[in-house]
Amino acid sequence: MRNYIAKRILMSVLTLFVIVFVLFVLIRIMPGDPFPVERMSAEMIAQKRLELGLNKPILEQFVDYMSMLLSGSFGNGTSLYNGAPIKPIMLKCLENSFKIGVLSILFGTTVGLTLGIVAALNRGKFVDGLCTIVSILGVCIPSYVFMIFLQYFFAYKIPFFPYFFDPARFMFSSIMPAISLSLLSISTVARFTRNEMIEVMNSDYVKLAQSKGLYGFELMRRHVLRNALIPIVTVIAPLVVDLLTGAMVMEKIYGVNGVGKLMVDAIAGDGIDYNYVLALSIVFSSMYIGMMLVLDILYGIIDPRIRISAKEA
Amino acid sequence: MKKLLMAILCAVAMLTAACGDDSAADDKLKVMLGSNVVSLDTSQATDLASFEVIADCIDGLMQLDANGNVIPAIAESFDVSEDGKTYTFHLRDAKWANGDPVTADDFVFAWRRHGQQSNEYGYMLGSTVACVKNADAVLKGADPKTLGVSAPDPKTFVVELEAPVSFFPSLMSFITFYPINEKFYNSVAAGSYGTSPETFLSNGAFKLSSYMPGAANIQLVKNDQYWDAARIKLDGFSYQVVSSSDNALTAFKNKSLNLVNISGNQVKSVKDDANLANDLKVVPTGMLYYVSFNQDPKNHHGGALANANLRLAISNAIDRESLVDNFVMDGSRATYRALPLNFAPHVDSGEYFADDQKLYADVVGFDVDRARQFLDKAKSELNRDSFELNLIYSNDGSSAVAQAIKSQVEENLPGVEIKLQPTPKAEYFSNITSNNYDIALANWSPDYNDPMTFLTLWTTDGCEISEHWSEPAYDQLIADCTTGRYATDYDGRWTAMASAEKILLEQAVIAPLYTKCYTVLMSPNVEGVEFQSVGVERVFKDTTVGKQ
Repeated sequence: MRNYIAKRILMSVLTLFVIVFVLFVLIRIMPGDPFPVERMSAEMIAQKRLELGLNKPILEQFVDYMSMLLSGSFGNGTSLYNGAPIKPIMLKCLENSFKIGVLSILFGTTVGLTLGIVAALNRGKFVDGLCTIVSILGVCIPSYVFMIFLQYFFAYKIPFFPYFFDPARFMFSSIMPAISLSLLSISTVARFTRNEMIEVMNSDYVKLAQSKGLYGFELMRRHVLRNALIPIVTVIAPLVVDLLTGAMVMEKIYGVNGVGKLMVDAIAGDGIDYNYVLALSIVFSSMYIGMMLVLDILYGIIDPRIRISAKEA
Repeated sequence: MKKLLMAILCAVAMLTAACGDDSAADDKLKVMLGSNVVSLDTSQATDLASFEVIADCIDGLMQLDANGNVIPAIAESFDVSEDGKTYTFHLRDAKWANGDPVTADDFVFAWRRHGQQSNEYGYMLGSTVACVKNADAVLKGADPKTLGVSAPDPKTFVVELEAPVSFFPSLMSFITFYPINEKFYNSVAAGSYGTSPETFLSNGAFKLSSYMPGAANIQLVKNDQYWDAARIKLDGFSYQVVSSSDNALTAFKNKSLNLVNISGNQVKSVKDDANLANDLKVVPTGMLYYVSFNQDPKNHHGGALANANLRLAISNAIDRESLVDNFVMDGSRATYRALPLNFAPHVDSGEYFADDQKLYADVVGFDVDRARQFLDKAKSELNRDSFELNLIYSNDGSSAVAQAIKSQVEENLPGVEIKLQPTPKAEYFSNITSNNYDIALANWSPDYNDPMTFLTLWTTDGCEISEHWSEPAYDQLIADCTTGRYATDYDGRWTAMASAEKILLEQAVIAPLYTKCYTVLMSPNVEGVEFQSVGVERVFKDTTVGKQ
């Protein structure tokens, strides 16, 4: 088991390194300057390139960057917010995105699980059809359409929620952004829950339990839900990362200072901010890889066959 | 289970009761910002959003009133030496928000720091604009202490110039020349000045209460320590960054915002809406939109645009009136001069530099026959029958104009084909610096109230959108007007600037298109917002918000 975990960690670190390297090279060969050149003279641009070390060979730049990363710093921006240190700004943005992301996950899984369970218990009936439609809609409707729809109806037509996110009223103004993000998790969780529940309900041990006289809520709680939930948790894990990182559109529409908006600003500003794009990509990738690592290890613990097959390979 | 359900219902009810009511509070000023604030550090801010927020919070030596006249701010008065090369500003008793007095040293510190950092607006200190003594050397790395500024006593700030600058007092309202409290600056962590309410110090009308770099929502409150606090009616107000004008319009209808900018294609529907039509306001700006021709013979299409007749042909094939009426649609006005309308008034007559729009009617205008004559000349001079040119523009709202220019030019000039090349803003400038364009849709906002803010763009070593054009006679005229023989001769300088503009337009170095106007929606209960065409766009010092 220890070998298995060590191998997994090593693979994750290697993957992250490859990602950083590829991103580093890609961002430097992509068109667009790392600083706003509108009012800068050729001399100033040359000076700025020198300061940022952009004239050095790309590998040397990479080594410099890695040593900076290893010393625990993400450096300063190249154009965004005029070269202020990245870390405090990014942490603040991560905090905002994280809070809304967690709200959205809570809402999404609660509604998704409820829908899934209700559908499974009423298999083939009207309610089941309704749940299926909801989960299909959730996958089909582009999330930004849903976001604009929510904003239009619940902040404009019925002006109940604030139109924009307001840091002074964090909880209340987070509700709409969180719900608008949760559409995908609702439908994914609902679909998985329904299918897993049905599969478990048809399994031999549930039938055995029923034949022993166990019915209703107790049967559901002790045998069906518990077994159905394990695969569902593995679906939720990557969804969490998606929500934390994939909120670019939502943050733009509702005006949330989060990492999604930060990423858009870094790319679509007056210059492409190399260091912000890299720092954010590294954070996103690390979160994803970290989540996958935890899952892999959990799988290994839950199911010995996985670590045995890994050993054989 | 029932208990849990009840608990959830109660929580939702409480949340609703606690928060639901104040979303409709409409007696607060909530203003749209079209883009993020780049920086609140006066030596690093480069954009109109930053300028505006900084000016809300910091006062310079002078300020502009609602009519664009220069009036005192931190300086109570100033004296000019006879040769016009020394300005002595006498400061009033003003305080920073932390209670420190505003002193001449705060100005000395900020100006020197500005020279030392030599950022994008560093040139404002130098010989093309303010002509501060030794500024050019300091911008190139000399000791900032050699900059021609001094503080003989805390209430006296002296600036020495290389040459007299007639518009120097008006420059003092621009944020580049604002003070920074040195003690406070040194007390915050390096690199963090101006990144939060705690690391930013006001001496102006308002102070920050909520801000972070890139903030989508910025809150300001009244600064009780402000020297002119009695003038300020608002207790505070907030900015919301909204990049989509559709979103802005809905937020205005919803009363989530009470001052927003809308785009040209929304104007018609707003005029048709009885509830909104009265809130519509057209605000002229000093921003000039123009077509920039790349004249570098080495550029990738063989440098055909180095031929003046081809440039003149294109300039005369564009119907500017149709452009503003049918494509821009926001009240912007067609412009036939190298300077925008209603900009840079003459000190005696008060006439704006570009008041006479017909002055160059023989070279700038819409005349298909004349355009074709120019084209025929170009064809015979270049021995070519057809021209394929790419038109580069930033895809943040200029598409309609670019397409209109393409169709007008192609229709009116047989043999000229325009290929549209929309690009993101960052790529737009990198294409221009790497000489990868023929024609660019460009715009420029004035940094100060003098024709020179535009005319210096086209000197040989002007800004990046330089057209790769070099004309010694033009460079000489500009040099004469800045530090040369016309520096002290106001009328001579005015005439020389007119001659410089004549060269520009007769050679069609650029084809001016229109002076930008903003269409804004302002709630009827908001009054006293000053819209300015130079430097800071909106000033809220006299603003009041009544009950609706």
